[in-house]
Amino acid sequence: MTEPPELSRLTLGFIPLNDCAPLAVARERGFFQAEGLEVVLSREASWANIRDRVAAGILDGAHMLGPMSIASSLGVGGETVGMAVPLALNLNGSAITVSSAVAAAMRQADPDAMARRPRTAAPLKRIIDRRRARGEGPLTFAVVFPYSSHNYQLRYWMGSAGVDPDRDVRLVVVPPPRMAVSLRSGDIDGFCVGEPWNSLAAHQGDGEVMIHASEWWRAGPDKVFGVTQAWASAHPNTLLALVRALLRAAAWADAPDHRGELAALLARPEYVDAPQTLVARSLRGALADGAAGVIFSGHAANFPWRSHAMWFASQMVRWGQAGADIDFTAAAQVYRPDLFRAAAAEAGLPAPLIDLKLEGARGEAWTLDQATSPIDMPADLFLDGGVFDPASPLAYARGFAVGRHLPPTI
Amino acid sequence: MRVLVIDPDAARAALVEEGLQDVRPLEIRRAPDLASAQASLSDFSPDVIVIACDSPDRDTLESLREAGVHNPRPVVMFVDRSAPALAEAAVQAGVAAYIVDGLSPGRVRSILEVALTRFQVMQGMRTDLAKAKADLADRKTIERAKGLLMKERGLDEEVAYRTLRKLAMDSGRSIGAIARDLITYADILKGGRA
Repeated sequence: MTEPPELSRLTLGFIPLNDCAPLAVARERGFFQAEGLEVVLSREASWANIRDRVAAGILDGAHMLGPMSIASSLGVGGETVGMAVPLALNLNGSAITVSSAVAAAMRQADPDAMARRPRTAAPLKRIIDRRRARGEGPLTFAVVFPYSSHNYQLRYWMGSAGVDPDRDVRLVVVPPPRMAVSLRSGDIDGFCVGEPWNSLAAHQGDGEVMIHASEWWRAGPDKVFGVTQAWASAHPNTLLALVRALLRAAAWADAPDHRGELAALLARPEYVDAPQTLVARSLRGALADGAAGVIFSGHAANFPWRSHAMWFASQMVRWGQAGADIDFTAAAQVYRPDLFRAAAAEAGLPAPLIDLKLEGARGEAWTLDQATSPIDMPADLFLDGGVFDPASPLAYARGFAVGRHLPPTI
Repeated sequence: MRVLVIDPDAARAALVEEGLQDVRPLEIRRAPDLASAQASLSDFSPDVIVIACDSPDRDTLESLREAGVHNPRPVVMFVDRSAPALAEAAVQAGVAAYIVDGLSPGRVRSILEVALTRFQVMQGMRTDLAKAKADLADRKTIERAKGLLMKERGLDEEVAYRTLRKLAMDSGRSIGAIARDLITYADILKGGRA
């Protein structure tokens, strides 16, 4: 028997992106209601606003960037507000897009590399070198937030081809719904963002998707659902009810039969506010490119793997956002597999029994037996074959040819 | 002290500026968005940036620290320690502040307090305006409904109004709502809006 929630009326924040789907579905398909929760969803203009409104208690919880919840909890780049992440919202679902002009230049510079998938940033390196030789200014790329999987994805992709994202290009921050228009206006030459904003730029003829998240890291983490630690402690039953509702909503969103209905729902002005056909296409993934799309529920997609949290922390160190003295254990503890398991048990859903795994070590699909019932897991390789061992995160962070490794902060 | 106010709402930004006149010494600049504020960021070098919470520019502003150009730190959490209620009220009212250099908490607090008050005043004015508009619309609707009753049932103005008021009281709804329904039904009966 589950305990009644402490609160029944809640306000949750989200950013207009396909991966707000579990929240939108939980509200529109009655999954919140079935848990006795009356939820208002608040569409927010920035990730900073999500963080501050959750911190100030105006939002009870929100759609969050995984790395943002960790940076906030550790006081990286700002004040410390402890967050708790009881579930992840998706795997995959973002991409790197460049302007049509940059894509054409890349194709001209290295047609063979451009014809292969996954596409490396080697052609980009060639045109950057050429621009430098001609005395032209750096290309500008945009990400959505300094502490985002998208920032690390873009940097990783560039770094693996010898492009230094801090020295060879200019990196700026642009909110997701503005990416396509900024590419069109020429303010930026490329970006990394969640869907449907890549598909929109491609559809409008302003850009071309270079690499989907699932080609860079075959089943990589992205958004999470987060609350403050204080809120989690004060409302344990409400939180479990929320997680149950979101898990069921994510399963609904993942069902292939529901994708049409999901696209129609997400396309609405109060959610993503984008053409329905585009949302539908971006949800399917880039099948023509052979890349997998977003995973909302299957393959333990909702499990808050502490190895994912630690991987994000390793990238903070790699790129100099945090010192080598970063507390990897504290980063891991922001993710709460204990809460996930409690909610999954009540909802009758399988849950992993381990908190950590090697990341990037599986070339084939596999079965996770250390779970309440066996879970089908996907291959999870990185494009450069790197493997993250959560037992030695610092060595991993320092093991890249391109990176900023600051000395420990005082 | 140099304060940069970024707010697409010019009236509200002006109100904040006016409120800050008591802060001395003070230089203040306004911009509707971050793109137009870029020049100010380098040549004006603000100590404090006050920005509307609903501005989509906040993430970009916070990332300036990443680029190492300036160093805007959100002060919401920073104020939190000295005055938790103020931070909450500011976020609630939709105002965020950023501190660019090491400024004393007290000074940032006074600026945030001013901005917060002004945002609330503006919110209040908007609510009042919306209410006034709604009241005016209601009055017009009630006049039309009274007219209908007078015409269709031969009532005088006083009795027509009392009839509406009684319907409202009996159903626990506003006279405006009753008047709207009456007009809608009358239209339908006349075949005007089936």
